[in-house]
Amino acid sequence: MKHSQDQTNTSDPVIEAYKKHIDRTLIRHNLSLTVDQRFQQLMELQRFAEQLQNAGRKARQKQ
Amino acid sequence: MTDFAALIPLLVANDVEFIIVGGAAATAHGSARLTLDLDVVYSRDNVNLERIVRALAPSQPYLRGAPPGLPFEWSVETLKKGLNFTLITTLGALDLLGEIVGGGGYDELKPETIKIEVAGAECMCLSLQRLIEVKRAAGRPKDLEAIAELEQILEEARQA
Repeated sequence: MKHSQDQTNTSDPVIEAYKKHIDRTLIRHNLSLTVDQRFQQLMELQRFAEQLQNAGRKARQKQ
Repeated sequence: MTDFAALIPLLVANDVEFIIVGGAAATAHGSARLTLDLDVVYSRDNVNLERIVRALAPSQPYLRGAPPGLPFEWSVETLKKGLNFTLITTLGALDLLGEIVGGGGYDELKPETIKIEVAGAECMCLSLQRLIEVKRAAGRPKDLEAIAELEQILEEARQA
């Protein structure tokens, strides 16, 4: 049974405010990728985030 | 790091019945947001529980964030006793969800999925429309920005 779509169509002012700041070029780029490529990109982003966290940790230890 | 390209094919190769939801589903639909774990809604069928246990056993599942050394036994009995499991494995973070707020369980969500392919493995992913509805129903403040992006994706996809 298909779920009602009413919830999706209800406007939420906070969500609408966030929408103004969403980078649509990023979305368009991602939509041009295959699902596989989107997951590869996510894993690269995770690696990068881990590197940043490690760098931050080391910097704090030096202080 | 969660190795989505290994975890998803591992579940598929073991015939596990699951649906990708949450941030990973958002990624599949084109989200640019960082998500750290793989969230799946799984069938609570006994046979499926056996498949999950068999599939993940080599990856040493353990309760994520829990102190080491707890008497956590990875077994069908353990899965039967619980519903949602937040796990860490050697392949990364995996949330096994028996149900999700606003969405229900595997059988309720299955008609609202799309088929996707990840690292050569075909699996089910919650549809974009339903993912938005579920996130809205969950009502978590942290999801509001994610919902905004998903709705923009939906709009872009409709225009394409």
